[in-house]
Amino acid sequence: MPELEFINVRKSYKSPTGENLLAIADFSLKVDGGRFVSVVGPSGCGKTTLLRMAAGLIPCESGQIRLDGAGLTGPSPKMSMVFQAIGLMPWKNVASNVALGIQLQAHRRKLVPEEADLVAATLVMVGLKGFEHYYPYQLSGGMQQRVGLARALVRQPEILLMDEPFGALDAQTRAVMQDELLTLWDRAKSTVLFITHDLDEAIYLSDRVVIMGRRPGRIKQVLEVKLRRPRYSYDVRAEAEFAHLRSVAWQSIKEEL
Amino acid sequence: MTESADRLGASAGHGVKSRLAAIGANHYFLTAISAIIFIVIWQIVSMNVPPIILPSPANVAAAFVELTASGELVRATGQTVWPFAVGLSVAFVIGTSLGLVLGIFRPAARILDPYIFVFWSIPNIAWLPLFIAWFGVGQLTLIVFVFVSAVFPQLLTVEAGAKEADSFLVEVARSLGGTKHEILRLVVLPSALPYIFAGLRIAVGRALVGIIVGQLLIVATGIGYMFQFYGETLSLAKYFAPLIVIAALAVALNRAVNWAEHVLIPWKPRAFS
Repeated sequence: MPELEFINVRKSYKSPTGENLLAIADFSLKVDGGRFVSVVGPSGCGKTTLLRMAAGLIPCESGQIRLDGAGLTGPSPKMSMVFQAIGLMPWKNVASNVALGIQLQAHRRKLVPEEADLVAATLVMVGLKGFEHYYPYQLSGGMQQRVGLARALVRQPEILLMDEPFGALDAQTRAVMQDELLTLWDRAKSTVLFITHDLDEAIYLSDRVVIMGRRPGRIKQVLEVKLRRPRYSYDVRAEAEFAHLRSVAWQSIKEEL
Repeated sequence: MTESADRLGASAGHGVKSRLAAIGANHYFLTAISAIIFIVIWQIVSMNVPPIILPSPANVAAAFVELTASGELVRATGQTVWPFAVGLSVAFVIGTSLGLVLGIFRPAARILDPYIFVFWSIPNIAWLPLFIAWFGVGQLTLIVFVFVSAVFPQLLTVEAGAKEADSFLVEVARSLGGTKHEILRLVVLPSALPYIFAGLRIAVGRALVGIIVGQLLIVATGIGYMFQFYGETLSLAKYFAPLIVIAALAVALNRAVNWAEHVLIPWKPRAFS
């Protein structure tokens, strides 16, 4: 099973006044293969920086990120990232946006028939059958993020990186999308690193919740979530364990605000 | 079915209103009405001023037919359209490609932008004497003048467009494994497309001005020369014939650009239709 490992990762930024701001300090975390791990923390704690480094979009300053034991040097075809702002190409319809996930992975303009079938199957999977020819502006926010999810899943990633993917959605849509993500994950069984500021969301989805402190970003506490799966099959939020975890996490985060 | 529904609506008392709304929705009808009103006003004004100031629509129409029948107008249109089309096409191709290069490859822009800005700032009419000295009095000068008139708006608009490519979309493409080349083709180029059309719209207008000014002032052929000749001889009815041709050409070109934009950019929501 693919695993993702952060080893003493460090990253700083230049502030507008020219000082060095330490965003992430000595961050070490092992995301075991096939697990669902969430990172929560107050805004500005470096969660997104962490994920962008894991995606190979920005380099670490020191330390290393390993994917299946090998050092990461840039975006990897084994990974897919889902963004809060989604980032669909406005000039491509739904099917072409999803196909882009394969095209840029394989560096080919045309999809072979099996890949086209995969695009169609992925669209069915995320509930977008019949919307293949819609342009992004014709879709609701929830549907747009389904396209974003499909574009990531069509690559059959070993590791799925998700940066507050449901952060911009309304509460109902978000709850539906969380359940669908868990259903999809049951099937794909990829390793997931999920960033959110929503504690309920983190506990509901994850095997493990990493709580970050800020300035500089570092791991403050790690909670194991042992709630039974599949969690969409019962009212997991009503469980005493759920309430307990949320209370512990909240206490921990509150100190950082 | 709809007819009977309409009649039902009419008997219910709001028929007039809904019929007016239906007519208003048909913009060809609105355009026709406005044209008729325009011609009527023109006729009324022309009956109250000497024909040397404003000829009547009927006289203009007669002159138009006469000039068309004699072949003069057709020949002049050909003499105008040909250097116009060549100059504009070259300006479009060079302006678009150079604009893309400068928008994407910023060091090149830092070298070339000052020159481009200076050239663009000089009123293009000031180039004419120089072009005559370099290229003589002929088609080549006209083509170069049209080119210079049109290339800068095309170049600068496309450069701005390529520069404006959404950095987030570039990052998304990068996260999916996109190479530099793929990102140019799949992100930068499509996002510059609306700017290519915006530039073309300005370039068409400037090129039209360029060809008319060029023919009026130097080469003495085509539509531009007709303006000069019939203007100076005060044959106003005949003066209006090339004016109609130029207006029709401008409108047709604008329509063509709009149509191409509509076909090539179907992804943009439109605020007004």
